[in-house]
Amino acid sequence: MKKKNLGIRLKKYWPFYIMALPGLIYFFINCYIPMSGLILAFEKYSVSGGIFGSKKIGLQNFKFLFSNADAWIMTRNTLLYNLTFIVLGLVISITTAFLLHELKSNLSRKVYQTVILFPSLLSVIIVSYLVNAILAGDTGFINNHILIPLGLEPISFYSEKKWWPFILTFVHFWQMTGTSCILYLANISAIDTSLYEAASIDGAGRLQSFFKITIPCIIPTIVTLTILAVGKIFNSDFGLFYQVPMNSGAIIDVTQTIDTYVYRGLLNTSNLGMTAAAGFYQSVVGFCLVFFTNMLVKKISKENAMF
Amino acid sequence: MKKITALLMMAVMLVSLFAGCGKSAQKNNEKPENTSEKTTEVAKNTESAKVEKIKIWVPTSGKYDDIDAVMEKVNEITRAKIGVEVEFCPLQFGQWFGQYSLLLSGTEDVDIMANYGGYLNAYSQGACLDLTDLLNEYGQDIIATEGEYLKGGMIDGRQYAIPIYAAYAWNMGLIYRQDVVDELGLTDQVANVKTLEDWEPILAAVKEAKPDMTPYVMNTGATASNFQYGTWDDLGNNYGVLLDGGKTSEVVNLFESDEYARLCKIMYDWNQKGYSSKDIQTQTDGFGTLTQNDAAFSTLGQTDFNTKFYQTTSIGKPIGIVMLGDAVGRTYNNVTYTVMSNTKHPEACMKFLNLWFSDIELGNLIKYGIEGTHYVVNGDGMAEYLEGQDANSCTYHLGASVSNTVAIRWVTENPDYVKLLNDANSSARRSVALGFAFNTDSVTNEITQLDNVRAKYQTGLETGVMDPDQYLPEFNKALKDAGIDKVIAEKQAQLDAYLGK
Repeated sequence: MKKKNLGIRLKKYWPFYIMALPGLIYFFINCYIPMSGLILAFEKYSVSGGIFGSKKIGLQNFKFLFSNADAWIMTRNTLLYNLTFIVLGLVISITTAFLLHELKSNLSRKVYQTVILFPSLLSVIIVSYLVNAILAGDTGFINNHILIPLGLEPISFYSEKKWWPFILTFVHFWQMTGTSCILYLANISAIDTSLYEAASIDGAGRLQSFFKITIPCIIPTIVTLTILAVGKIFNSDFGLFYQVPMNSGAIIDVTQTIDTYVYRGLLNTSNLGMTAAAGFYQSVVGFCLVFFTNMLVKKISKENAMF
Repeated sequence: MKKITALLMMAVMLVSLFAGCGKSAQKNNEKPENTSEKTTEVAKNTESAKVEKIKIWVPTSGKYDDIDAVMEKVNEITRAKIGVEVEFCPLQFGQWFGQYSLLLSGTEDVDIMANYGGYLNAYSQGACLDLTDLLNEYGQDIIATEGEYLKGGMIDGRQYAIPIYAAYAWNMGLIYRQDVVDELGLTDQVANVKTLEDWEPILAAVKEAKPDMTPYVMNTGATASNFQYGTWDDLGNNYGVLLDGGKTSEVVNLFESDEYARLCKIMYDWNQKGYSSKDIQTQTDGFGTLTQNDAAFSTLGQTDFNTKFYQTTSIGKPIGIVMLGDAVGRTYNNVTYTVMSNTKHPEACMKFLNLWFSDIELGNLIKYGIEGTHYVVNGDGMAEYLEGQDANSCTYHLGASVSNTVAIRWVTENPDYVKLLNDANSSARRSVALGFAFNTDSVTNEITQLDNVRAKYQTGLETGVMDPDQYLPEFNKALKDAGIDKVIAEKQAQLDAYLGK
């Protein structure tokens, strides 16, 4: 039955398959061919041997990821930050998108959207200096213009751990909300307005129509984006966790993620095998997580699953 | 269903086949192209039977807009003398450190590689060609210039790198603003400073008199640790050092030593008293930039016979130094040149390096460009920019050179540099470990973990932001857990073997 379908589909829709071909070829060249380089994760790389001819050493490269006291800390940080980003991100970006959509004036909507989007165009290096200008101990805005005039003790942010979970979360959303709410905004704009009209005739308020119409209509997008985000839960935004805290050692317990650990550990040794092993590990875990999240979604509501 | 799986399998297999094909086809294609290129080259150059082309990558802080014209002149010399054509690929220093690993990976077109900050990474990746025989055959001028200091490029008795001929003997020292000292009438007091403790009253006086000038800053910002250039011989990576600067060969744990605790205490004291910034551990600018803007007074750094002169001219403010102890010839060798192990022209590379070391004309060309176009020689026999030109408007000034001591000196350099350098290098005490290179292969995992422990504590402790009474024991415990004892034992064993014990 299925085979027949494929044959019929090919015959019937062949122009579409041809249209998809360039994309598929691109995908193949860019994503599948380089995968052969994963073999590096199992080798002790040497220049004369090259990528495929170096000495195979089995799983030794993976050892450095797990055989240390900080393995727990960096895994915990990576997971907790990402979970926070996913959950809070959903709330913040959907709310922002909805509020933007509710603006009736086209001009003010454009202005607000640009203002929200702007931080994501800044390089993380610039962001880190902006943060530094606010937090620095001797010259920073908070210490010099708020705490000291109020007669309070200045805070040395770059050596106190307790502030950083909040600072990093704030910086993340300040920077990323603009881009993440675009998708939702497009989705919300595409909802048939007659649904809202009908609801308001029936006496539904703004909030009611938000929960009863908007949310159900964008659930497929929410699910897809969340599954994709879950797949990256073992990866972290390197710039955010390394540059924004200015690589300060005293707060490493709350800023160390798997990516920064790998970077710090390999900065001096430039060991290609270990780097490849770390990336490989993150991808495998990410793949499994996508797979299981999707299975879970399938169980709950079949039509919303990605595959 | 089964058929679909079979189809899929076939697709996968085809894919891997293609992937393999692509690679090998590429390689096969490359070779004939190269040879055909070469044959046309040979046909062109009737005067020499065969010209080998090599590529050398160097970092620079200078200009290289006119590099094609300069290379033409360079190649006239190299073609005639050694039958080699060389292409220089300079990168700005900032870019360099990002590109270095990539260039080392062996996938780029590189024959000779400059290594800043040691070459052990290159070696452990198998990127360094064994140069021992080539050096003896084609490198006589290099051997004559460097003598015993060639050991700085040796591992297990084989020559893998050619160190540049620079000041080998140095020690940790204070680098400070001489004009500020003179202005505050502290000149005599500074002349009597022997230790870091003696330095405190000076800092106090500067803090009092110059509120906008931070009395103490880190040398290069947070990119290197505060005690990077210590009084000890760091044997390559600070995990296990020779504490007395290499008088004996006992490898000890630096971080547990009294000396280290003493330094951390001083820094903590200075930070508490406000001689250094509260944010010193996230300092981004180096001492040079800060003091140019009168924002910093002193720092700790590597000092040798030329530091005072060099810093004064490069910073543009009067600089003074206090060396904390005698200068010692170290294991540590910062800048070396290596030949990539996958090069097709090993002989040509060595011939070129040797010529670069010894040929005045070649040295000048590569350093300063073409005489009359990019520089002129003044009455004192020193090179300077053309009238009306400066570092920004001159179109070529690479500056990079394998320590070509025969080339003319730039006008801002010490006129007696070569003589002083030779004197300093030949008279200095040498560490017993001079020429020892630590092979980290068996302890890579430990070192990766130790580096992470260091990232957490080292800067904080060495800048005095962390209280050593509380954090130094914590740091040492973390180092122990990460396996520092194993690394030190391995280092001791290798050093003993090197010394023939």
